[in-house]
Amino acid sequence: MDIISQNILYFIIAIAIIILLLIWAYSTKRLQADFNTITWTLIPVAIAINIAIGEIVVTLKLPVYLDSIGTVLVAVVCGPWAGALTGMFANIIWGALIDPNAFPWFPVAFFIGLVAGLCAKGGLYKNWWKVIVTGFLVALTAATVSTPISVGVYGGITASGSSFITAYLLQIGQNLVPSVLITNYLVEPFDKISTCLLAFAIIQGLSTRFLARFPRPENAQIEQGATRTQLLIAVIGAVAILAIYIFVVVKTVTQ
Amino acid sequence: MQERLSFYVRRKSDLHALNPLTKLTLAFVLTILGFISPWYWTPQSVILLVIIPLSFLGKVQREYFSIATRLILPATGFLFFMQAFFQPVGKDYIFQFWFLHITPESLALAFSNASRIFAMVSSFTLFLLTTHPSELMSDLTRRGLPPQFSYVIISTIQIIPQMRAKAQTIIAAQRSRGLDTTSSFIRRVGALFPLVGPLVFGSLVEVEERAIAIEARGFTSTRVKTSLYDIPDTNLDRALRWVLIALIIITISLRLWLS
Amino acid sequence: MAIVNLQNLTYKYPLTDSPALQNINLQVNEGEFVAIVGPNGAGKSTVCYTIAGFVPHFFKGEMTGNVEVAGIESQGSTLNELVLNVGLAFQNPFNQISGAKYTVFEELAFGLENIGIPREEMKARVEDAMKLTGISDLADRSPYSLSGGQQQRVALTSILVMQPKVLVLDEPTSQMDPIGTREVFGVIRTMAERGMTVVLIEHKMEWIAQFADRVIALKAGQILLDGTPQEVLTSDLLIDQGFGISRYTSVARQARNQGLWQKDKPLPVTLDEAVEGFSAQ
Repeated sequence: MDIISQNILYFIIAIAIIILLLIWAYSTKRLQADFNTITWTLIPVAIAINIAIGEIVVTLKLPVYLDSIGTVLVAVVCGPWAGALTGMFANIIWGALIDPNAFPWFPVAFFIGLVAGLCAKGGLYKNWWKVIVTGFLVALTAATVSTPISVGVYGGITASGSSFITAYLLQIGQNLVPSVLITNYLVEPFDKISTCLLAFAIIQGLSTRFLARFPRPENAQIEQGATRTQLLIAVIGAVAILAIYIFVVVKTVTQ
Repeated sequence: MQERLSFYVRRKSDLHALNPLTKLTLAFVLTILGFISPWYWTPQSVILLVIIPLSFLGKVQREYFSIATRLILPATGFLFFMQAFFQPVGKDYIFQFWFLHITPESLALAFSNASRIFAMVSSFTLFLLTTHPSELMSDLTRRGLPPQFSYVIISTIQIIPQMRAKAQTIIAAQRSRGLDTTSSFIRRVGALFPLVGPLVFGSLVEVEERAIAIEARGFTSTRVKTSLYDIPDTNLDRALRWVLIALIIITISLRLWLS
Repeated sequence: MAIVNLQNLTYKYPLTDSPALQNINLQVNEGEFVAIVGPNGAGKSTVCYTIAGFVPHFFKGEMTGNVEVAGIESQGSTLNELVLNVGLAFQNPFNQISGAKYTVFEELAFGLENIGIPREEMKARVEDAMKLTGISDLADRSPYSLSGGQQQRVALTSILVMQPKVLVLDEPTSQMDPIGTREVFGVIRTMAERGMTVVLIEHKMEWIAQFADRVIALKAGQILLDGTPQEVLTSDLLIDQGFGISRYTSVARQARNQGLWQKDKPLPVTLDEAVEGFSAQ
């Protein structure tokens, strides 16, 4: 089977996995636990935040997407399934009504919300460096899930700047799928870690009283000492780790 | 700034009169046919022989052509060029530029993919032009979609333009306070915070009150919900849906048989 | 027969140190118009939420005492049952628009769809309610295209179609301009005249004095005063505790201190009373 059809198959498999997960979560009552009336009123606002910030970033010409801040927000204070559905609906509505190119990425958005929510449930959203770890895990997931979609729907080249990296890798003789995969692994951490940090900053700015209304306020209880210096240490540490990470990736590629 | 976020055009036509689910099924089927059918020229035929005539049937041909030329063509055109250069298929280069090259095979594949995407976006555009969101949601809810999903989708569609307008206001306000959105990278990154902050915090406040408001109007009631409007579902609708599904099954069988 | 019965009610919001309400005892009879006044943080909104059942079901927290509305005990019921008896409206009309509907007519029907009212009855209720509150001409407009006063009237109407037994209003005019305020009070007066039980939080003393049968002054979660508008709004206790008073009362008080208003004559709260009082000198 040619590469394109193979990746379309992965796309279909991803959708099937999503459906199965949702059915599982619904029947084990995990899905319902994330949802309150206030979850339902938060999600539309979160989706609109995704889109508005995604568009602000384009106006500011920054090299990131930042189109999942709302998704992560919902994932942390409501739960992984609420976050997953938020991401999914966001891409579907965005694709249907604003920019069709947003539509094929909805499985990625689903898993971004799911992984962010699971990390938060596991206590990985309580101070700056933990948030960075969450961002990193979300990035890895996003990179993995978006690769088959990128190859299957777009042949590996999307309309974003990261495609130059893919092009370079193709030029030096790499195959298509590894090129796209590596590009995504390089690009996603910046975007997703920034997204999670921004979402964390927002949560810090919300009153405890307000957060208590949501299904999982305990995920957002900031550990004491989440101060500026901790942030600085975390950011420096993250940059260092990312530098090592990129070095390793590039080394593996050029073997 | 657009006030409403939908393509819907209010008109009386045969297409408008069809049940929303029928039109949605049509959009999906036309898309899937384009991707699954073994015949190379499927997407193009779908566009020329099905979508364009249907746009006339739905009396939305002007809007469709406007959207097709303004939005869909540029996007798929870009896709076409990208794929023509980057798809790693074929050996004989017809054209070369730096390390980019075009082969007959990559050209063919690029055209095929671009046409498929064009057909997909066109068929959904046709759907959106002739179906009002609340009609669609009403119908889907009647068929079993949880009403909360219907609430989320329509609510989102109405909130997005409001949020964008808010964003514009905040950008303008911050600019008048000296915020620089066009200079150095660091400045632009710094500009992110005074824009995102007010936007997000200003919008989250209303979430709690709105939850109370809809709760006060029975949002979590366990009674069987009724609907203000009755969306008709005729025999023609049902027949059409079955025909469409049959088409998919035939195409899949054809492809499996031929491979 | 008391349609609202709060007995020995003490309530503390989650994650707070002090109770929002302390030992509240409040009975409201059917058809009464009760106004609640008090400084910010006094617990007025909390009382409203309690009557409507949102305290404790929506806000959680710790509640002791008895809450009974329209014969149903709050603690033993679920929120979706309790909201059917009490109509709740608050300050910001924009936040009360559901967002799920494209026209005012549909917006008004939203609540009725949720509780399963048959289609014909739904339409009848919506049309009657629109006539009552004077918004029939807004039926096909988008709720988001309306002015503040119009939106608030739509919000009130959307509650009235649910046919509640008690109307609880939390500062419905504080974000309105004068025209909007008059429109909203017009609706409230219409409902009161038809015998609806109304509980209203307001700061606009002149309006309260005109409509209310009783005024309750709340401070720091406790009831300070409970009586007729005359008694409460001109009482020295109110003024000493730092509540706002109406301009007419303020003027007449100063006039009294200067000997221009008879010492034993009750102070006015409304313009009419003030005019009458001053011209009778």
